[in-house]
Amino acid sequence: MSDSRDQRMADVLVDFCAEVREGDLVTIESTTLAAPILRDLYRRVLEAGAHPLPRISLEGLSENLLKYGNDAQLAWENPVRADDIETVDVRIVLEAPGNTKRLSNIDPARHAQYERSTERLRNRYLERAAAGELRWVLTAYPTQAAAQDASMSLTDYEDFVFGAAFLDDPDPVARWREFGERIDRLARFLSEKRELRIVAEGTDLRLAVEGRTWISAKGRENLPDGEVFTAPLETSVEGRIRFTYPAVFNAREVEDVRLRFEAGEVVEATATRGEQFLREMIGLDEGARRVGEFAFGLNDAVSIFTSNILFDEKIGGTVHLALGTAYPESGGLNRSALHWDMICDLRSGSEVYADGELVYRDGRFLNATNGSAD
Amino acid sequence: MIDPRYERLAELVLDYSLELKPGEVLRIDADAVAAPLILPLHCGGIKRGAHAYTAIDLSGLSELLVAHGSDEQLSFVSPVELREIDRIDAAISIWSEANTRSFSRVDAERRQRQLAAARQVAIRRRERVSRGEMRWCGTLSPTDAHAQDAGMSLDDYEDFVFRACHVLDDDPVGHWRAVGEELQARALELGSVHELRILGEDTDLTVSVEGRTWRAACGLHNIPDGEVYTSPVETGINGTIRFGFPAVYGGREVDDARLRLEDGRVVAAEAAGGDSYLQALLGMDEGARGVGEIAFGLNYEIDRFTRNILFDEKIGGTMHLALGMGFEDLGGQNRSALHFDLICDLRRDGEVYADGEPIWRNGRFLHDPQPARDVEHVG
Repeated sequence: MSDSRDQRMADVLVDFCAEVREGDLVTIESTTLAAPILRDLYRRVLEAGAHPLPRISLEGLSENLLKYGNDAQLAWENPVRADDIETVDVRIVLEAPGNTKRLSNIDPARHAQYERSTERLRNRYLERAAAGELRWVLTAYPTQAAAQDASMSLTDYEDFVFGAAFLDDPDPVARWREFGERIDRLARFLSEKRELRIVAEGTDLRLAVEGRTWISAKGRENLPDGEVFTAPLETSVEGRIRFTYPAVFNAREVEDVRLRFEAGEVVEATATRGEQFLREMIGLDEGARRVGEFAFGLNDAVSIFTSNILFDEKIGGTVHLALGTAYPESGGLNRSALHWDMICDLRSGSEVYADGELVYRDGRFLNATNGSAD
Repeated sequence: MIDPRYERLAELVLDYSLELKPGEVLRIDADAVAAPLILPLHCGGIKRGAHAYTAIDLSGLSELLVAHGSDEQLSFVSPVELREIDRIDAAISIWSEANTRSFSRVDAERRQRQLAAARQVAIRRRERVSRGEMRWCGTLSPTDAHAQDAGMSLDDYEDFVFRACHVLDDDPVGHWRAVGEELQARALELGSVHELRILGEDTDLTVSVEGRTWRAACGLHNIPDGEVYTSPVETGINGTIRFGFPAVYGGREVDDARLRLEDGRVVAAEAAGGDSYLQALLGMDEGARGVGEIAFGLNYEIDRFTRNILFDEKIGGTMHLALGMGFEDLGGQNRSALHFDLICDLRRDGEVYADGEPIWRNGRFLHDPQPARDVEHVG
C-alpha cells in the first residue's frame, strides 16, 4: 500500500509537470529506493495512454565505474542512453539516493572525466527540451540518506518534501497553477528593471539585468519549484556577497563563501571551510568566474536548508547566484563547465533595490511595487 | 559487502560463459531483487575493461502493464530496446524474481500478448547469438521466492545454487571446461544413435533421433548447466511416459503427467493435478502436441526438484522431453508457441537403450564417453 502522497505526487508529475500525452515514450529514471512511487508513476503513465520505460539504477553502480573504470570506460557514452535522449518524449527523473556521500572519495579528476563524458548528452537533452521536442521534470523521492543530509527523521523529511510540492493540498495542481500565476506576475515586474542592488550583512551587490529574460520556474521542470531567474549582463556584477548557507557542489560543502566582483568577474573568494575547492572550481575555466544566473527563491513551503539544491534554491526569502554557465533562454552568454548555485538568506535585515527603488525587504517583495506578494 | 560466493559466480559467468574482453559492451538484465549478483557482475565487467551497464526491472511493473495496459500498450515494443540488441557484445539475464506467482491471477490472454511483445526482443537476441554476433548467458541469483518454491530457507537454497554452479570448487572454470569436454564427447556419441528406448515406471517410449545433432549444454548459455539434448524426429516417437516431477509452465503446475504418443503426436494425456491446464497447453497450437526436445539431465549436484526449470531440467539422472518448439539448428522441425519441459525421473528403475544396447541405468550412463578427439578421428 503506497503512501497516498506518493500517488498524488505521481499524478502531479505525470498530469501537470510533464503533461504526459497518449502515445508518449516516457522514461522513468530513479534508483530502486523509489520503488513505491515508481509503481504509482508507471501506472499513471499507462493511464495517460503513454509507454512507460523504467530506467532504474542500483546504488553502487556508478561507484564501480568511477573506482575501477579506465579512461576509455570513463569517457564512454552509452549509445543506449543516447538513443533514449534522442527518442523519448518525456523524462521523469527522481533523485532517491541511498548514500549522498558515496562518491566522496572518488578522485575529483576522475569524477570530472566522467562528467565530461555525460556532457554531450546533457546538452542534447536540454537542446531537445528547448526545441519543445522533449518534456522533463526532476524531483526528489524521500530517502533516509537525503533525510540525514537535511538533519531530519525520514518521517519529518517526507512531510517536508511532500509539503514543498503542495501534495498536502486538496488540489495540488490548482495550487501550482495559482502559484505559477504569481511567479509570472513577478517575472513581468522584474523584466521592466535595469539594475538590481542587494544589501544585507556582508553583502552589497549590484547587477544589471536590462534586456535579459526573467524565467518563471513554476512546477514544470522541477518539483517542488518556485523561483524566478535570469542571467545578469556578464560584465555588470560589482560589489560583494556573503552566502549564508553552505555552497554544495558534487556533494562537497564550502562554508561561509564570500565573493567580491569587479566588472562581472570574481576578484576575491574566501570561505571558512573548503576555500581550496572553491578556488579550484572558480579556476575551472574562463566562464567559471562569472555569474550565469541570478534568482529569487519564492517557495515558502521550503523554509529550511537541507543540502539539496533542488530544494535550497527555492527557499522563500532567499536569492541565489550561480557561477558558471547561463541558461540560454534567459539571454545569458556566459558558458562554462561549471554551474554552481550559492544561496543567500535575505529573510532578515536585508533589502533589494530595483533601479534605485526599494522593492524587497526581509525576504518579501513589497506589495506596493509589484502587487504580487502574498 | 559482497558475498564472495556471488563474486565467484560473477567471475565464472564473465570469464567462462562470456569470455568477456576489454572494450566490449555488456548488458546485465535483472530484477532489482538480484542486486547481490548484479553488483559483482557489473563491477567484474568494469574491472575487465568492458562497458558494463544494467537494465534493471522492478517487480510489480509488468503486472501493472498486464492489468491496466490498453491493447496497444500491451503489444508495444520500445524501438530503443530493439535497436539496443544490435549494440551489445555480451548479455547476461538474471532470472531472479521477487515473487514467482505474480502473474497467477492475471488475465492469461493479456499476459500472452505482453509476453509475445517481449519475445520480439528475445528473438532478435537469439538470432544474433546464433550468428555468433554476441554471447549470452542466463543465470540466477538466489532469492526468498525461489527458495520458497524449492521448499528451503534462503540460506540452504544459496548452498544448493552455488553447489549446482560449482562456484565453490577450487577451480570452477576448470570444472566447467571438463564438463564441456565430457558432454561434447557424449553428444557426438549420441549423434550416431538411430533410436532411443526409455524404460521406467509407467514409461516405455521409443524416440527416433536418427540424423539429429545432439548438443552439450556445458555452462556457456546457462549457469548452472549440464545436459545433452536434441530435437527428435517429429514422427518417430511412440509409447507412454510418466513424469514424476511436477511440470511448471507460466508459474502454474501440472502434476504427475502421463502421455501416450503415436507417430510423434500426443494422443492421450492426463495429469493428477492441473489436468485442464495440461489440456489447454496441448491445444495451444498445432505444434503443441509434438515433441521439440529430448534430453539427458547430467548435473549430479542438482539432486532435487526445486520448481525452477533452470535447475530441474539438469537434475542428474533425469530425462526431459519438451512439448512444442524444436531446435531448428539441431534439425528440429516442430514449430509452436509452446516449449513445455516435462521431467522424467530415471534415478531408480530407469533404463535407456540405444539401438537395442543398454546405455543408461538408474540415472547414469553405463560407460564414459570416448574422448571427443578420438571420436572425431574415427568419424
